[in-house]
Amino acid sequence: MPDDTPRPDPDADLVQRAREGDTRAFDQLILKYGDKLYGLIYNMTSNKEDTHDLLQDVFARAYHSLPKFKGRSTFYTWIYQIAINMTLNFLKKRKRRSGLSLNDMESSVQQDPALVESGWESDPERRTNLHELQKRLNEAMQHLSESHRTVVTLFDVQGLPHGEIAEILKVSVGTVRSRLHYAHQQLQTYLQDFWEQRF
Amino acid sequence: MKANDQQLGDLLSLKRHERPPEGYMEDFLREFHMRRREEAMQMGSRTGLWERFTAWLAEPGLAKWAYGAGVAYAAVLAVVVSLPKGQEVDQPSLQPVSHPVVEPLESAAPTQLDELDLRPSSEGKLGEQEF
Repeated sequence: MPDDTPRPDPDADLVQRAREGDTRAFDQLILKYGDKLYGLIYNMTSNKEDTHDLLQDVFARAYHSLPKFKGRSTFYTWIYQIAINMTLNFLKKRKRRSGLSLNDMESSVQQDPALVESGWESDPERRTNLHELQKRLNEAMQHLSESHRTVVTLFDVQGLPHGEIAEILKVSVGTVRSRLHYAHQQLQTYLQDFWEQRF
Repeated sequence: MKANDQQLGDLLSLKRHERPPEGYMEDFLREFHMRRREEAMQMGSRTGLWERFTAWLAEPGLAKWAYGAGVAYAAVLAVVVSLPKGQEVDQPSLQPVSHPVVEPLESAAPTQLDELDLRPSSEGKLGEQEF
């Protein structure tokens, strides 16, 4: 039986202080989750300017909605829900407005220093392959439907467990798993040509 | 050949290392504070206008009420005048038209007219006209 008791929120203290008007506490929450939310939104939109504007809007919404935050979920789940809802709404509007060309997408990957040290830089050909592969991966991600891209981003890119994704998206764990399975099949097909050429 | 689940997972996990540029979050935070300040100023000016209006209403004096009533009257008048007026067209009343077919009376059979006498007057007395 699922445990309905709410998990202790590691951010409860910061949230409480922010609710009482302590802007520094909210700044700490921004610094804590900014990078992760940036990655989430960027992988959904593939556009830096859109990501920046959306992230500003997400934190602004959270800031104004803090008095309504009852603590039934953790702050982390709550702000992820805000970010995903706002990003999905934005994508719907963008699709209606013009439809994003794949040429508009960016592949501005900043490698983690640990990765650079792990031998990629010493093999320039392999490094070029990796960049090309990531570009193709971003393109393939954009071919997925928004719901499939969301679960791939949350699970494969952000590393969230199935249960948390289900909680954030308000769907069952089974739905998360089946969306992931389908999305992986799609990605494997999109990347097949490239994979055959390079590896 | 397709990438298997493990290879795809490894590939996607590389994206975990994507980061916004160095110093991005500090700039982001500065912009966030600037936006909140602008928002507060806008809210302040809006609430300031409202407060001035309510304070003005709270002041004693009859003249302002007369002035307010005049403005309200003018506004209502402007709305009434600006309303589009359509031409009223009288719709003709629809009534069933009945044209009863009159059956010819059997008794009113055409009567035989007397034959007209077209003979010249010189030929007989009947054609003469006397004045």
